[in-house]
Amino acid sequence: MTARLRAPGMPRAGLGLALGIALSYAIVLPVRALYGFEPLVDGDAVTIVALLAAPFGFLFGLGAFDYWFYWASGRPTRPEDHSGHGATSWRDYFRVNTDHKVIGIQYTVTSFFFLLVGGALAMLMRAELAQPGMQFVSTDAFNGLFSVHASILIFLFIIPVFAGLANFVLPLMIGAPDMAFPRLNALSYWLLPIAGTMMLLSFLVPGGSFATGWTAYAPLSTDAPLGQLFFTIGVQFAGASSVATALNFLVTIITMRAPGMSFWRMPLLVWANFSTSLLVVIATPFIAASQFFVLLDRALGFNFFVPDRGGDVLMYQHVFWFYSHPAVYIMMLPGFGIISEIISVKARKPIFGYRMMAFSLLAIVVLGFTVWAHHMFVSGMQEWIRVPMMITTAIIAVPTGIKIFSWLATLWRGVLHLDTPMLFALGFLTMFVLGGISGVMLAMIPVVIHVSDTYFIVAHIHYVLFGGSLFTIFAGVYYWFPKMTGRMYDERLGKIHFWITFIGFNLTFGPMHLIGMKGMPRRVADYAEQFAGWNLFISLASFAVGLSTLIFVYNMVASWRGGPRAEANPWRALTLEWQVSSPPPIFNFDQIPTVVGGPYEYGVPGAVHGVFKKPGEVAPAPAGRVATAPKKE
Amino acid sequence: MEAASVAHAEHHHGPPPANQSSRVEPQLLGMLLFIISEVMIFGAFFTAYFFIRVVQGEEWPAAGTELPVAIAGVNTAILVSSSITLHWAESALKRDNRFGFKAGMVVTFLLGATFLFIQVNEYVHIGFSPQDTAQGSIFYGLTGLHGAHVFIGLLLLLFVTIRAFRGHFSSQSHRGVEVPGIYWHFVDVMWIVVYTSVYIL
Ligand SMILES: [Cu+2]
Repeated sequence: MTARLRAPGMPRAGLGLALGIALSYAIVLPVRALYGFEPLVDGDAVTIVALLAAPFGFLFGLGAFDYWFYWASGRPTRPEDHSGHGATSWRDYFRVNTDHKVIGIQYTVTSFFFLLVGGALAMLMRAELAQPGMQFVSTDAFNGLFSVHASILIFLFIIPVFAGLANFVLPLMIGAPDMAFPRLNALSYWLLPIAGTMMLLSFLVPGGSFATGWTAYAPLSTDAPLGQLFFTIGVQFAGASSVATALNFLVTIITMRAPGMSFWRMPLLVWANFSTSLLVVIATPFIAASQFFVLLDRALGFNFFVPDRGGDVLMYQHVFWFYSHPAVYIMMLPGFGIISEIISVKARKPIFGYRMMAFSLLAIVVLGFTVWAHHMFVSGMQEWIRVPMMITTAIIAVPTGIKIFSWLATLWRGVLHLDTPMLFALGFLTMFVLGGISGVMLAMIPVVIHVSDTYFIVAHIHYVLFGGSLFTIFAGVYYWFPKMTGRMYDERLGKIHFWITFIGFNLTFGPMHLIGMKGMPRRVADYAEQFAGWNLFISLASFAVGLSTLIFVYNMVASWRGGPRAEANPWRALTLEWQVSSPPPIFNFDQIPTVVGGPYEYGVPGAVHGVFKKPGEVAPAPAGRVATAPKKE
Repeated sequence: MEAASVAHAEHHHGPPPANQSSRVEPQLLGMLLFIISEVMIFGAFFTAYFFIRVVQGEEWPAAGTELPVAIAGVNTAILVSSSITLHWAESALKRDNRFGFKAGMVVTFLLGATFLFIQVNEYVHIGFSPQDTAQGSIFYGLTGLHGAHVFIGLLLLLFVTIRAFRGHFSSQSHRGVEVPGIYWHFVDVMWIVVYTSVYIL
């Protein structure tokens, strides 16, 4: 028993967790005694310290820091024997594993677990909203439901699931044996379940879960019950995880590309994650700071947001949206990358305007930092900021438009393979255009004054994040499922899943535009009689979407356990991850491939992207040129 | 027997070495990116400072309080000299002068610790708290955030010093000194920005 408690792993993690909580008592009680605070044992204070200390105890116990401790103290470090690579049983997914493929699956499965939780919360909300009046939950509980729904799905699903897919695919795509910092990668993953568990635990504390929306505006959040701090601190862990992963991606992409893989030969998924990671590294510290301010105000009585002590309430919104506007691109750009891969492969055509696709990603990164105050048009901020922000917001639609037209031009006269990943890609294209149009409408000050805080906003965000991001995620999961698991999914169930989701999604969120225009406010548990018909309709449609997710889960679980074996390259794709077996060998490549051409030369006779020969045998062609020119006949 | 050992070797063979596609070292690049996000954290705290001091136009420092500009100035000099001694330690290491390296690390660590001690002492005697006014919150927020970075930096320096005394590092392998060193220089430069905007302006 003591041996198991001394070796890194779950038993020691449990011990670490307990020690972390004990440590919080050991810190809080003497400090309160010193200051003479009454009562000596204060649940709030201990909980706040425990929220910070217990996760570190857990991570320490799990062994996330072991190597660094050995290194720091100058003791001999265990040379990497690669025992942390690969997973032979499900138990291997519950320890600190440094293999990017294992981490990718850990990330993806964990975030899909949180999708189901967040979706279940949405179902509860729709049950309550099916009729006017109060049926199932109290108004406070309803506030908690939509707050946790949004926070879980944004911070624990969309952002990390993209990191998960990229974790698996990106090193393979650029011809690297692993990520640049495998141990940091493992730590980034393990911060996630901590953040998610923390947010869900908030339902159990006195006063209920946090109920201030995912935006947690001050001073509402600085006066809220204890549950709020589970958001405030949980977000720090999710944010630290994103920053660490982004840093890892950037270093991996810059320093570990295969010979011949110039920047202009990188697949667009790599470009997309490169841009996203830039956004994360630059923007995420702002949400960390905004939550530090709330924590300091709420826990230690600071005055950042106390107006009569000189504090500035609007400052919260500026700092928060300086992260959270770029965050919508953090939740979208990796999806753009996925769609570029799928559309080119499934239309059997080179991507149209490859360089413009990459440049438009970078343009979005830069412009993304110039629009944050469009979320504050009705907040009472300085009026002169509004028009410039309206103009920049309209401009940022241009690079996005370039991407849409590039995808359309890629599809044009292509040989379309309408299987599940492609259906989701096309579904994304149509839904995202609608979400983009309502987005441009919302950029216009007069429109937003009319529809601010109505269901029109709910419709817009779900067209962008559900019809947009989630569709790309489904597309990506189906597309790489054979590579990740070595099995094929059930195509028929996949198509059924797509059609129910696609139709149910539109029936759910389409009408929200209408009732929003008519003035139904969002974030309310009860509403006027005149909206009853549409709300019942929306609730029924949303249950269909909920059920379709179960089909997806069944398909994934059943296919992973007993689906037919997948070939190495079922989609006849050119990118490097498809040139190795499914699932890939334990170290990805026996030898690093050499890249000799662009990644999307579909339909070009004799085109190759990468070859497996020792470097030197193949002279890499000059960067940016197609190595094998199409023969003219 | 023969076959078994071959299979064993097969099983334990490592990954093929990754291609180095950039002249920049991964550890160095990682630290630079980390520093970018650190700068942004400070940026957010400076945003709060800007909103309260400039946009709201609050008096700075708050009425009836004073900031010890001179003592903090001495403290600034201490931190800046710790950057110089760290540089000295690094160049001693590159010449394989182990005594100079160890002495430089110890002096750097002591200077950093002195800075932190004076900072805490300043909090005790400054006469206002973050609970009094928003200006107080900003003052403690910015200097406290920086103090936390000094603390982390000191831990890194401590690790390097321990390893130095255990005989690690040489003129050939000094990345483990260089990377924490970059962080320490960043903490130093950041302090000059904090000192200028909080104490002088
Ligand atoms: Cu925005």
